[in-house]
Amino acid sequence: MSSEQFSHISHEERELNCIFTIEEILKDNSKTIDERYQLIIEAIPSSMNFPENADGQIIVSDKIFKTHNFKYTPWVFTRSFFVQNEEIGSITIAYHKLENNQDFEPFLQGEKNLILNIASRLENFILYQELQNIFSDLDAAATMHKPNGKEYWETILETIRRTDPPLFMSFLRKILHILSAREIEQAKSLLDQSIISSFEEEAFDENTPTKKKKINTYDDYIKEILQLARENIEPNYLRNRLDEWLLFNKSIPLIKTLESDSTSLTEISLAIRKYFHLAPEKIKLTEGLLKGLRVALIRRFFTDNLQFISSAKEYVKLNDFYNLITKMIYMPTSHGKLGGKSSGLFVANTILRKKALENPLLQQIKTPKTWYIASDSVLAFMHYNELEELQDYKYKDLNEIKMEHFHVIQMFKNASFPPELEVGLSSALDDLGDVPLIVRSSSLLEDQVGSSFSGKYKSLFLPNQGTKTEKLNALKDAIAEVFSSTFGPDPIEYRSERSLLDFHEEMAVMIQEVVGNRIGKYYLPSFAGVAFSNNEFRWSQRIRREDGLVRIVPGLGTRAVDRVGDDYPILVSPGQPNLRVNVSIEETIRYSPKFVDVINLETHKFDTISFDKLISEFGDEYPALEKIVSIYKDNMLREPIGINTDYSQETCVVTFDGIFKNQKFLQKIDAVITNLQSAFNSPVDIEFAHDGTDLYLLQCRPQNFKKDNSSIALPEITNQVNVLFETNKFVSNGFLSGINYVVYVDPILYSETENKDILIKIGEAISRLNKVLPRREFILIGPGRWGSRGDIKLGVRVTYSDINNTAMLIEVAKKKGSYTPDLSFGTHFFQDLVEASISYLPLYPDETTSYLNEEFLLSAHNSLMEIAPEYESLSNYIHVVKLPYDNFKSLEIFMNADESKAIALFQTSANQFDSDEEKEKLLLGHKLAKYLKSHFHSIDNLYLNLKNTANLDLYFLISDSEQLIQIKMWLSGFAVGNNLKYELNFNFYYVDENPNQTTIFDNLNFIQLF
Amino acid sequence: MAVKDFNPFEMAQNQFDRVAELLNLDEGTSALLREPLREFQFLIPVKMDDGTTKIFKGFRVQHNDARGPHKGGIRFHPHETIDTVRALAMWMTWKCAVVDIPLGGGKGGVICDPHNLSLKEQEQIARGWVRQMAKNVGPLQDVPAPDVMTNAQHMLWMLDEFETIHGGKHPGFITGKPVGSGGSLGRTEATGYGVIYTLREALKAHNVDITKTTASVQGFGNVAQYSIRKYSELGGKVVACSSWDQEDQTSYTFKKESGVDADELMSVTDKFGGINKTKAKELGYEVLPGGDWIKQNVDILIPAALENQVNADTIKFIGDKVKFVVEGANGPTTPDADKLFMEKGIFVIPDFLANAGGVTCSYFEQVQGNMNFFWTKEDVLTKLDEKMTSAFYAVLELSRKKKLYMRDAAYVIAISRVVQASKERGWV
Repeated sequence: MSSEQFSHISHEERELNCIFTIEEILKDNSKTIDERYQLIIEAIPSSMNFPENADGQIIVSDKIFKTHNFKYTPWVFTRSFFVQNEEIGSITIAYHKLENNQDFEPFLQGEKNLILNIASRLENFILYQELQNIFSDLDAAATMHKPNGKEYWETILETIRRTDPPLFMSFLRKILHILSAREIEQAKSLLDQSIISSFEEEAFDENTPTKKKKINTYDDYIKEILQLARENIEPNYLRNRLDEWLLFNKSIPLIKTLESDSTSLTEISLAIRKYFHLAPEKIKLTEGLLKGLRVALIRRFFTDNLQFISSAKEYVKLNDFYNLITKMIYMPTSHGKLGGKSSGLFVANTILRKKALENPLLQQIKTPKTWYIASDSVLAFMHYNELEELQDYKYKDLNEIKMEHFHVIQMFKNASFPPELEVGLSSALDDLGDVPLIVRSSSLLEDQVGSSFSGKYKSLFLPNQGTKTEKLNALKDAIAEVFSSTFGPDPIEYRSERSLLDFHEEMAVMIQEVVGNRIGKYYLPSFAGVAFSNNEFRWSQRIRREDGLVRIVPGLGTRAVDRVGDDYPILVSPGQPNLRVNVSIEETIRYSPKFVDVINLETHKFDTISFDKLISEFGDEYPALEKIVSIYKDNMLREPIGINTDYSQETCVVTFDGIFKNQKFLQKIDAVITNLQSAFNSPVDIEFAHDGTDLYLLQCRPQNFKKDNSSIALPEITNQVNVLFETNKFVSNGFLSGINYVVYVDPILYSETENKDILIKIGEAISRLNKVLPRREFILIGPGRWGSRGDIKLGVRVTYSDINNTAMLIEVAKKKGSYTPDLSFGTHFFQDLVEASISYLPLYPDETTSYLNEEFLLSAHNSLMEIAPEYESLSNYIHVVKLPYDNFKSLEIFMNADESKAIALFQTSANQFDSDEEKEKLLLGHKLAKYLKSHFHSIDNLYLNLKNTANLDLYFLISDSEQLIQIKMWLSGFAVGNNLKYELNFNFYYVDENPNQTTIFDNLNFIQLF
Repeated sequence: MAVKDFNPFEMAQNQFDRVAELLNLDEGTSALLREPLREFQFLIPVKMDDGTTKIFKGFRVQHNDARGPHKGGIRFHPHETIDTVRALAMWMTWKCAVVDIPLGGGKGGVICDPHNLSLKEQEQIARGWVRQMAKNVGPLQDVPAPDVMTNAQHMLWMLDEFETIHGGKHPGFITGKPVGSGGSLGRTEATGYGVIYTLREALKAHNVDITKTTASVQGFGNVAQYSIRKYSELGGKVVACSSWDQEDQTSYTFKKESGVDADELMSVTDKFGGINKTKAKELGYEVLPGGDWIKQNVDILIPAALENQVNADTIKFIGDKVKFVVEGANGPTTPDADKLFMEKGIFVIPDFLANAGGVTCSYFEQVQGNMNFFWTKEDVLTKLDEKMTSAFYAVLELSRKKKLYMRDAAYVIAISRVVQASKERGWV
């Protein structure tokens, strides 16, 4: 890297230091003004590139302040300062000699900038001092004597009129607005006229008819206004407003910078710094302007998403951005943003801080130290390494992407970083110290409302140990890998499913310190986990959705976030903390976490180790361990009693009983998620960690959800033969129709198979079926846990992309002896299902209240051979029943969470469509409706007019127009993306326009889709 | 789906009727014993955490106390029925009688699903149960114990409520308490040791030198572990034992011709009884499919895991050498297996005799509680040995004398003891 780059950065730091020092000096009221000037000039040379060679001088009015050795040399840089356009002094820096490597023009741009900044700071200070003097004079005079017979505000305005006519006019208009707001008729008429006038040369439109007094010259116009002001506005009021306007005027450069899309992050950062340094007297901006600034900043740094902005602008302060930019890494020309994850955390943090003023529970919640890499850095990185060919990679065939992905990762890892980024990373490492780090992806798409990419992009842990070079190399390696995950098959598939492929995806990165403590040779938090404000996994009918869900594990939260298959997090619902998933001691022990994710500081690796082993070795060093485990003895689980516990001897079980009993923790979590939910106006999920002392918020994002379908009535079972299955456990609300294929993996045969190759092949076959069967027209029924990453015998090994087209995923728990295997608990996968509106249901066919017609599934004709002939050999294991079959037309599945019951019923009645076309349209309509319902909350009802043959006529009843554009865009995208043979017609009606609106749809031709 | 409703109480009555016929019991006696002596059904109102009140239905069935206070567990179960409780109470009467401990049979429960209850609410139910039953339970009347979905914690709540009502300390009111709060030492070992005490005597009675025998054990849970320990201690050689592997969701048989060492295997076993395959291999164990335990060419089979394990499908694997089956688990053999055992002359020590070490130790806990004097572990285990040994011989003697299958003999002796006590009291 070049030394110039280093000096660039270090100069920025020096500049900041210097400005801070000057701030301190200026604020120090214990010193006289002159003393302060002297201190300032002595402080400046040290921030120059060659401090020992630099001297300086400040001239203010007729006074000179200088450093001891100051003299004019050929190498000087001078800046004059002006107050009200009058030169009142200057600042000069001189080098008295040059170093060998210094050019003849010795001042770097950074040094010049600094001097300019200081000069304008001093201008500001002088103006302020003068105003102060006037104020204090005026305060004394206000009640008795007016200088020149004029009010103070008039004097000021006159000055402005002479020096800055446009500003004067703008102030005049403001005065006029005050007057007309006070119902001064004359002012109102003047206001009308002033609209077309700004300068004296402009003539008035003679043809404008007006009964009011006509003003012919601009001078008259001004006089008139000033006279009105004198007569109608209290001088003190006007004086205060004038002060505000003047100060407000100073923030304009910042606003202008933000308004333009072409300004780079560097420019914005500079504008923010200037804004804070130039106006430390705390400009009292109006609330409106402040919000405008905040919105502009939120847009530039985070997102254009209106819903996000509308929540964020209420909480984020300008100050927050000032702190943010000091922790950002970006290319000088960067126009990037910080991505979803960073935005979520940043805004969540500001929300919690504000809410903490009213809610003491939120006061101690911290966020770890974080650095941010701007999203377009990935482009700079690719450009720098000539990897731009990859830009169109996302349009490749998915199979090709899958095969090439490893290669892509290697390409990224072998690439090098542009020096600007490398320098930034180096500063970040210096700031973060020796604490282990996590490198998190924060893509623009990730975690935005409506599409959560949970787990699709990478997050990597770094032990961050060793020499600076080692640490930097490890950090770069990790970032390159995170960058490369933009091109992973899973995210690309996920995007293409949601028509997001064309969205310009960039990847910002967060570098965050890992919350935790050193325990033995490991580094880990005492415990960590995720919390959801909506509980989509309720184990008791007493738990409501809004009671929330917490998944919590000892050590790093990865085991709570990811599904691990062979281990379990502890689940608890903050709204119902006393209702536990596991009741008996045996269950509690079996479903307790057995392993813990840690960072091994000796091997420098992310590790999964046995929790037992960890605490038997280092139990005494483990903060808050007594609150995490219970001691199992004599068929009882007891809380450890203080230090009187020998962790190497006792049988410890992770229960978190101590944490949960101390209700403060769950209350805190509850307060966090409910406050964030109300601020974001959407359910959220958060990641947290606890180091034994403090609770840290690590992540916050909207929790994607289906709008809670009101529970649907369960059908009357008239003939048991028509029932495919029934169950009464863990049922959520929903209704599926038009299921034409049932794919069944025989659980008994599966569990009896010792041949692992067959089991793997079953997974491949499912993946194949998922591609060839019509989307959302089939359901998958299989043993144990679908997608288990652990032992293959737990369930069919698939990833989300292997099952993403199913309408429903059913897990069958067949009893083995007296033991019923456990089914999958909520995980990333589970959230995928929730988001994609894929229903999930566990079946316990051996329980008396459950039923699965296995006989039918095994005896009906197996269509596997026709659909996926290459997997014919698996026809004993996989049964595909194609509907209609026999008497059965298609399958409908009714799920009612209130009654905790689900029924799958074969439809036997004949369809009542006039034509195939109508049927096709209806199916299409249902398909559309399913998407729309889960993505757009503002649609109340959707109707389809079946009889218009050429078009697909959709009639929407919507509650507000907020999502209107998005809906329209989505529909157009759908039509193009699906090659519809019908033209889409959509009609929007507002629900509250006419309460009887729905009656027009009572026509038989209209079919209500939802 | 809806399986034909089976009534456990009717089943227990049929079983009793069969033995009653063998014993040629008079009508009055039969009528007394085929029904519970007393039944309580009551409501337990509970203030739930959310402020609402919920009413739970509680039961206590006291089947027969001719031989001593009723003894039996308390179950929290959503599908609890009075008939289940009746059947279980009756079985308790026979179980106490067969080991000749001076207790009668009882069982209780509450219809509730602890999955839907907080611990606080469960505590209210436990205490509410005692409030309703306080006058009819106690160290001298009826002694509850933990059962399905209740544990030591529930027992302590109940004890505390009982003592609050009656004033004073009555640790003998309830069993299943932790050591230090009125529990008994030796409880962990009791069932497994008891299994081997009966086996030891059975071998003696057949003039078989235990040190020359080999055995195969199904399971590696608490009962199996202590069975293996005791049996090895007495000189026998366990060749194989099986264990459930949580990770692979299947069981494996661990075989070592030179003898399974319980302590050695325990060192590679997690706290849930799962043996680490890799480490076991390193220790010289052969890892075989789970079902292989029954195929071993041994003298003794000890099914100590699940029910219905020795059934029509698996009996064909039993080797010719096998001469003894000791039922450590509850109901591990099916009637099909019984038939084969009778044909082949395999000697069976039936479950409710072989695994009665547990209930015997509960009795000891109660006795110690009543005296408020607690024995050493050695005391407990010695007394257990005496009890199990004499119980075994009583059954054996009857079986030889009357040419009865051991299982039948055990029932006959248990029921006749209860009949005798009832008659002596002049009830019938």
